[in-house]
Amino acid sequence: MMEVKSQAGERRPTGFRNPWFQFVLNIIGVVIYELLLKAGASATANSAGDGSWIGITALTSPLTWLAIVIIIVDLVIWLYILRYIPLSIAFPLSRAVDVLVPISCWLILKEAISPLRWGGIALVIVGLIIVAKPAAQLEERL
Amino acid sequence: MNWVAVAFILFWLITFVVGQLLFKRAMESARKIGFRKPRTIMILSIGIAVMTISFLLNLGLLQHFDLSYLYPFQGSSVIIITLLAALLLKEQLTPRLILGTLLISGGVLLVSLS
Repeated sequence: MMEVKSQAGERRPTGFRNPWFQFVLNIIGVVIYELLLKAGASATANSAGDGSWIGITALTSPLTWLAIVIIIVDLVIWLYILRYIPLSIAFPLSRAVDVLVPISCWLILKEAISPLRWGGIALVIVGLIIVAKPAAQLEERL
Repeated sequence: MNWVAVAFILFWLITFVVGQLLFKRAMESARKIGFRKPRTIMILSIGIAVMTISFLLNLGLLQHFDLSYLYPFQGSSVIIITLLAALLLKEQLTPRLILGTLLISGGVLLVSLS
């Protein structure tokens, strides 16, 4: 497998182990587990008392457990990403989720999106494009 | 939304931010001294513990609010984490990165207000 030098002087893997490829996998994972968590929490919302803010009762839903499995896999991928990409770049870019989750909610959970919310989504996209430039420069330095 | 809900959302945000910083610190430690060293394992373990608390709070909040309403609050962590990464982890911030981060947070705020 080909490898290139990272900023830390460490060999950075390419191909499947490329941190940016893993980054895309991570984002897809987050969107899926957020939707599963909401579905699991909603399915068990009736069993939660009014004063309950710790979602233990959501653990009775198999959807929540499927989400937990994806979260654990996603955590390992995220740690791998952080090994190669600065947090100040990786984290803002990971907010692509803030665009993908509301759109997924709209498409799958049939939650409504107002014009203002669409405006916010557009702003996030512009921000992501701007942050992606330093990420590309970082890639050139790697 | 009452003050208890606000307090829980804030606590959720704080645990999330601290967890992310601990994860990055753990991976820096892994790069410098190795993954299986006690220091790396300790930082990572604390990070996972903090993130577990954050996760349970997230589940509790999801039982009370729509995902599309609640989720963008997490977006406000973008500015906090980017600033703390520069401050505590000595990462380099460029004006472009700051602008992009502000736009992302602004967009997320709009989403949460709508």
